[in-house]
Amino acid sequence: MVSTVAMKFIKPVIFAMLAVIAGIFLILGSRQNTSDVPPGFTVVEYWEKWVGNEATQMRIIVDDFNRTVGHDKKIYVRYLSMTDIDQKTLISIAAGVPPDITGTWDTQIAQFAAIGAVERLDDLAKARGITKDYYLPVYWDGCSYEGHLYALISTPGVVALLYNKQIFADCAPQLRAAGLDPDQPPRTLDEFDRYAAVFDLKDKDGRLQRAGYLPLQSWYIPQLGLWFGADIFDAENHRMMLDSPAMLNTFEWIKSFSTRIGGQTLLNFQNAMGNTFDSPQNPFLAGKLVMQQQGPWMANYIAHLKPSFSQLLMPTSEEWKLKDRASNYGWGVAPFPSAVPDMENVSYDPFDALMIPAGAKHKNEAFEFLAYVNQQDVAEKICTLHCKNCQLRHVSEEFLTHHPNPYIAIYQQLAASPNAHCVPVCAIWPEIYKELLDSAQAVTLGEEPAVALKLAQQRMAERYDRFITLERRREQLGIN
Amino acid sequence: MTQEERQNFFKGMAFLAPWLFGFAVFTAIPICLSCYYSFCDFSLTVPRRAPLWIGMDNYRQLMHDSLFWKSLGNTVYYVAMALPAGMLVSLGLALLLNAKIRGQAIYRAIIFLPSLIPAIASAMVWMWMYNTQYGLLNYLLGKVGLPPVAWLGEKGAMPSLALMSVWGVGNTVIIYLAGLQDVPRELLEAAEIDGAGAMRRLFSVTLPFLTPVIFFNLVMGIIGAFSILTVPYIMTQGGPNNATYFFTFFNYDEAFKFLHMGYASAIAWIQLVITLALTGIAFWSAKKWVHYG
Repeated sequence: MVSTVAMKFIKPVIFAMLAVIAGIFLILGSRQNTSDVPPGFTVVEYWEKWVGNEATQMRIIVDDFNRTVGHDKKIYVRYLSMTDIDQKTLISIAAGVPPDITGTWDTQIAQFAAIGAVERLDDLAKARGITKDYYLPVYWDGCSYEGHLYALISTPGVVALLYNKQIFADCAPQLRAAGLDPDQPPRTLDEFDRYAAVFDLKDKDGRLQRAGYLPLQSWYIPQLGLWFGADIFDAENHRMMLDSPAMLNTFEWIKSFSTRIGGQTLLNFQNAMGNTFDSPQNPFLAGKLVMQQQGPWMANYIAHLKPSFSQLLMPTSEEWKLKDRASNYGWGVAPFPSAVPDMENVSYDPFDALMIPAGAKHKNEAFEFLAYVNQQDVAEKICTLHCKNCQLRHVSEEFLTHHPNPYIAIYQQLAASPNAHCVPVCAIWPEIYKELLDSAQAVTLGEEPAVALKLAQQRMAERYDRFITLERRREQLGIN
Repeated sequence: MTQEERQNFFKGMAFLAPWLFGFAVFTAIPICLSCYYSFCDFSLTVPRRAPLWIGMDNYRQLMHDSLFWKSLGNTVYYVAMALPAGMLVSLGLALLLNAKIRGQAIYRAIIFLPSLIPAIASAMVWMWMYNTQYGLLNYLLGKVGLPPVAWLGEKGAMPSLALMSVWGVGNTVIIYLAGLQDVPRELLEAAEIDGAGAMRRLFSVTLPFLTPVIFFNLVMGIIGAFSILTVPYIMTQGGPNNATYFFTFFNYDEAFKFLHMGYASAIAWIQLVITLALTGIAFWSAKKWVHYG
């Protein structure tokens, strides 16, 4: 009886308590925090793909902006770093609530521009004097699609040859026996192959314990053709060129490693490394991989993960003398050798892009921030923090002498070279990228390069034709 | 309908309303839209770029897409291995765990534990177990004088993933165990008195009573195996040479990497039709082998 009476009261009390809690959550719950925004300021929402150190370093730039230009022009940039930014940006555009700035990769510029996901920046850039002359040409080209500017750069990169000088020294007798100089990096691709073969080391069971070079370990497999003089895509004539003679030479070269070492042995070794880029087990840092293609940012990772590799002999007070530092580092940098005679300083130049999504509410204010990031002093600051080269045509002496990477001048020179290449400006680049990765794996496992590339060319040409056909149909029907 | 019935109906609907709203907004409408988009060129960037009606073009294109057939073949191959393996192992474990032995609860907990581990964590652990050069499995093979196996190589990756799927059968085992409690003890005792051995009792009494549970697990297994994504995404990224590129992976790439939402919708609908067809076959065959009571 007592319990029945008690239940009669308890039920409404519990219900009321739940209702109150729900009400409190509704009233005080998740909402945009506006307390950090000074009154009367326009808030620019900036989403960035970086997480970790690079995100923190970009926050420094955002804070600088909010304190200076933003304060003067009453603009407040609210910065949010996140993963999967490309997908989140697209979904936010579809939902009608895009950020004002999205920080993505260069590979997405043409793809996003082709589907109208980002705004054109031509007029905004022109109004602020940001022109092709201000940038290194390779980066400006990468920011444009079909003659229009769609992005500005947050930080650029250049891919060069990174090699382990300590292992070069350890293997000096073998290198000399092979007619190679242990004190110099390879200068031609033929030399490169001979160096790599000397460094390859197998155990008694035939397992690879150290590799001179791993073609499939590179992040830039689809771009390897650049060092063979290949163009993957002819943007002017809208033509895929995946099975060109230069690409065939590239894939024959990739196959030469599996022919020499064994395809499965190579893959086993590579898989054994796992995904260890940002870890002391990174194969380059662990001495398992002697030569690789990497960007200038690697100096930051080395300093963090294996400091002894960068501070062998020099006392701290001497650290900033670039020339001296480089000579005492355990690792070295050089242009990756080209397979084409007389074609020097070939490089692949990826970069991080800042774009304004379609439907952004504060386009002009957002561009103020983009322009700020591309001011010479600011660009040099973020590039120094991220340990990258600079996208601008002119950089200060200070930038070159105080950069954390002692080889920065080589990277800067490579990016300025006429043989510098950005990502192919093609709307279906992510598809081509996957296709070429698949082809490289197939070739490593025994497929003939000509067969693999013919299939890749056929598939990608079909896909691109379909893209063009649908674009034309949209134009005819006026559906853009 | 009396007034009381009407009142009850409205009360019932009021309680159902939040779910109905959620179902309509987050399930029913997206399903209908994805059907429409599967006949369109569509890339999410509405209203800037409206869907373009292209009829059956996405489906026609799929029929000529070698990766479509490759991923479909891979998925069927995986289902053909993982489904029977998972069902047999889980049934076998359930029968063992049903035996009255000391420490029964501990054994049950041990079998169930792996299914509590998040798929990504499991995948990371198994990646190192399967590692050709430093993995535990090859270390053990080496100890008995056998050569190392490329567990995640072009030929070995698919069986390895199927083998790994058995690792997480704890949930299925629990369902079988629950089903085993429903097998009438008196029937088992009667069969024993009649001279039936353990195997005969299993095949003539236990399994027939268990067929509704087997059927349930079969249908869930078909659906689950056809939608595998997380584990190969972490462990092999579809490789090597697309050997573990599954249908759902293909769909994910088309939708979120290549931004072909219309094409991806067509893939999703084909996946739905295949899953429905297989489930339909299971239901049709169930009349012949599933015994209810």
